[in-house]
Amino acid sequence: MLKNIQEWTLLLVIFGISSLFGNWLGYGIPVLDAVPGMIILILICLAGFILNSVLPFSFPSVAYIAIIGILVSTPWTPGTEVVAAWTSQVELLALTTPILAYAGISIGRSWADFTRLGWKTIIVASLVLLGTFLGSAVIAEVVLRFTGVI
Amino acid sequence: MSKEKAYGLWKNWKLHTIVFLIVIVAESIGQFEFSVGPGVVLLLPMLYAIVIGLIVFFSPLAGEQDARDAEPLLVLGVALLLAKIGVIIGPSLPEIIAAGPALLLQELGNLGTIFLALPIAVWLGLKREAVGMTHSVAREPNVGLIMDRYGIDSPEGRGVMAVYIFGTVFGAVFMGLIAGLIASVTPLHPYSFAMASGIGSGSMMAAASGSLIGVFPEMEEGIIAFAGASNLLSLSTGLYVSIFIGLPLTEKLYSWLERRKGEK
Repeated sequence: MLKNIQEWTLLLVIFGISSLFGNWLGYGIPVLDAVPGMIILILICLAGFILNSVLPFSFPSVAYIAIIGILVSTPWTPGTEVVAAWTSQVELLALTTPILAYAGISIGRSWADFTRLGWKTIIVASLVLLGTFLGSAVIAEVVLRFTGVI
Repeated sequence: MSKEKAYGLWKNWKLHTIVFLIVIVAESIGQFEFSVGPGVVLLLPMLYAIVIGLIVFFSPLAGEQDARDAEPLLVLGVALLLAKIGVIIGPSLPEIIAAGPALLLQELGNLGTIFLALPIAVWLGLKREAVGMTHSVAREPNVGLIMDRYGIDSPEGRGVMAVYIFGTVFGAVFMGLIAGLIASVTPLHPYSFAMASGIGSGSMMAAASGSLIGVFPEMEEGIIAFAGASNLLSLSTGLYVSIFIGLPLTEKLYSWLERRKGEK
C-alpha cells in the first residue's frame, strides 16, 4: 500500500511538472502560481486511488476522484473558495496535452492493427463517433430548451 | 489501475523527458484555427501532442517498452483531468442539478451510433460485424459485453474490436476536429454539444470539449462542467444502456435492414 502511494505520487508529480510548463507556455500562467492548484489536484487523485484500494466496492477510481473533486468545491462546503481559486490556475487544456502525448506514444502499439482496418470500417467507425455526438447533442438541446435551462 | 503492479515506471526518465519536450513544443506552437465554409476547425496543442507522440514511437527514440509504460501514465493523467473536472463541477453543482433531466436523457443519444452507422454499414455490405461495430461507441466495457455475448472469434467481436482500435488511435483527433466544426455550423447550444462530448472516453471528451472551449471561450466553465458530468454518467450508465436497449435494438434493426435488402 505504502509502496503504491509512493509510486502514484511520483508519477503524478512527473505528470504535473509537464502540465505546469505547458500551462505556462500555452496559457501564460507562471509555474509557481499554479503549483498550489496542482498539489490539490494530485491530493484529490491520491485520495481517490486510496479509497479505491481500501473500500470493498468495485467502483472505478476515476469516479471516486471526480466525486471527491466535486465535494471539495461545492458552494455548500465551507472553505471551498480556496480550492476553486488555486485550481483555476491550472488550465484544463494544459492537462490534456501531456495526456495525449503519452497517448500518442502508447497508440503506436495499435498502429499496425489500425492500418489493417479496411476503408469500410473507417467510414462506419467515423459514423459511430459522429452518431453518438449528434444524437446526444440533439436530445440535450431539446430537453434543455424544454426545461428552460437555455 | 491500482491493480497494476508495475512499480518503477517513474524511472523511465527517457519517456518522461520525451513527453515533457512534446508538451513544450506543442504548447509553444499554440492554437490555430481555420474556416471550412461556415465552420471553424481548431488545431489545439493536444492534437500536435498526439501526432508528435506517434511519430516518436516510430523513431528510434522510443520503443515497445516505452509505449507499454506510457499506458498507465495515460490513466494517471486522466485521473488528474477528472480531479480538475470535479472541482469545476463542484461550484456549478446547482446548474448541473438544474440540467439534470437533459444530462440523463442525452445518454440515450448514444444510441445515435445505431441509427446513423448501422444502415450505412449494412449498405456497404458488412454482415454480423456491423452489430458489434455500431451497437455503441465501443469503449472497454462494450468490448467486454460483445466478447461475453458472442465470443472473441465471432464476427461481432471482430467488429467491436475494429471500432475500438479506430477510436483508440483516431478518436481524440476525430472528436477534436469535428466537435468545434459541427458546433460552429449548427444552431444547437454549445452546452448541448458539451453534454454530447461525454461519451465515456477521457481523451475523446477532453479533445471534443477542448475544441468547443476554443470556439466558445466565454462558456468555458459550463462546457467543462457539462462535458465532465455527462462523461461520468456515460461511464456509469453506458453499459446498462447497451445491454438493455442498444444491443437488442441493433439486433432488431440489423435483421430488418437485412430482410429489406434481401427483398430488393
